[in-house]
Amino acid sequence: MATTIAAAALCPSPPLLCPQLTGRSPVLPELRAACAQVVGRLLSQDPDVIVVVGPGPATGTWAADSRLDLSAFAPAIAEGGTGGVPLALGLGAMLLDQAGYRGPRHLQAAGHDEPAGACAKLGAELAGSGDRTGLLVMGDGSARRTLKAPGYLDPRAAGFDFGVERAIRAGDLAALLDLDQALARDLMATGRPAWQVLAGAMPAPAPATEVLYCDDPFGVAYLVAYLRPRGAEAGSR
Amino acid sequence: MSDPGGSRGMEPQAVPPQAGPPQAERPQRVLRLGRQAFGPERLLVMAIVNRTPDSFYQPGVTWDPAAAMERVRVVVAEGADIVDIGGVPARPGDEVAVSEEIRRTVPFVAAVRDAYPDLVISADTYRHEVAREACAAGADLINDTWGGWDTKLADVAAEFGAGLVCSHAGGLPPRTRPFRVAYADVVADVLRTTLALAERAVAAGVEPARIVIDPAHDFGKNTWHSLEITRRLAELAATGWPVLVSLSNKDFVGETLDAPLDERVAGTLATTAVSAWLGARVFRVHQVRETRHVLRMVSAIRGDTPPALAVRGLA
Repeated sequence: MATTIAAAALCPSPPLLCPQLTGRSPVLPELRAACAQVVGRLLSQDPDVIVVVGPGPATGTWAADSRLDLSAFAPAIAEGGTGGVPLALGLGAMLLDQAGYRGPRHLQAAGHDEPAGACAKLGAELAGSGDRTGLLVMGDGSARRTLKAPGYLDPRAAGFDFGVERAIRAGDLAALLDLDQALARDLMATGRPAWQVLAGAMPAPAPATEVLYCDDPFGVAYLVAYLRPRGAEAGSR
Repeated sequence: MSDPGGSRGMEPQAVPPQAGPPQAERPQRVLRLGRQAFGPERLLVMAIVNRTPDSFYQPGVTWDPAAAMERVRVVVAEGADIVDIGGVPARPGDEVAVSEEIRRTVPFVAAVRDAYPDLVISADTYRHEVAREACAAGADLINDTWGGWDTKLADVAAEFGAGLVCSHAGGLPPRTRPFRVAYADVVADVLRTTLALAERAVAAGVEPARIVIDPAHDFGKNTWHSLEITRRLAELAATGWPVLVSLSNKDFVGETLDAPLDERVAGTLATTAVSAWLGARVFRVHQVRETRHVLRMVSAIRGDTPPALAVRGLA
């Protein structure tokens, strides 16, 4: 089945992406700029719909007008959002809002424990909707990259994250389906199910990819990338 | 303003006495630690004595037993009511076996007990095996910072007639850091957790007058959460359980002020004053002398204790 994915943007989902949560200092401006840039490129494809995919407690969809509840992270911020919307989806919605996107959006959670096959199947369904779809995939690598990382240092973390980076750079999304689910959980790599939905949504041929940001400034692996199906008019009806 | 009496002329109107701190009601229970009993007006300083080579603040400074005993002598002279002796850092790092934690802390507890028969000794541990040995060596209080992860701690406290600190770590396992923690209402979560632990301790046979609750700043919390529990500390005090706060030089102070570890004392003391005003009764600290000054000042402002000397304008 030909994919109808116009393009995909990959962003991480740390709360610190939200400027209101980080106080008065600019925090990771280069990461925020990369996210804004990649979302801008996704929107420049003028897709019929944007599907935000991110990990959540369980697989399911959220109302298109859902917004992150900032007060859950910062009680002093009275701006409550949609209680319970998963962080990754709330931040994806925020990135779309920041970019001024007002078109149709669909918020899709992939459960933390959803196995690779189910994630890939979900991705294929999203790609087969018939609409020209822009995918905004919110997912993070290991939170155990350094001694000061939230999850402390796990020596396996760097290799795991490098495998993900290599797969994205090469457009070898099938490799994402081989990620070890238990290892990803051990490493606090919360993006695993979202990446596997992406892999299911963009099957062969390998997409053209560009990595805009790849670093672990707080001991958590963040990757920002842009993916376009190969071939003339790929992704168009 | 109307004056229904209408007969007071220019006399100053009677002003109702100020109600004191803005908490709903002042805690009324006596706190018993060791052989001592402390009324609600007493603000207690718990001095940190780390028997570790790698705690976050001034690592290793009391790793040597003689240096640790000298630290106890100094903090007692400075006005500490309690010494809190711990052998495992809160932050993640090399595993410290139970036997090693016992080796680090228990002989020292025994030595402090010998040297200071009336000093309240707290054992900072989350493991019941260590707590049992520490209580046998003379500890009066078990300071369980990790929120009852080891459910047998309450049994040990009951067995030895010791006290227990019931804290909120957001459900995190010991020695882990918060990762994107979110609460619908962090104070409600703290209340639910600490009160449940206190009730569990009572059910296990711990004397209620020996139970303390601790919201545990920074544990399972981001800086916003720690500021929120400080701002709303009166809600904890209103439960009637004595409230302990452990604020000293912590990351929420550092992040609020953008201050490195060695520049957090003023922020710590400001938070100490606010917490005392809102009803906290026990303060776990590195800086004993400075904390004692802050607490005496707060007590005087509240009217609980008179100034040490008052002659200004009175001669």
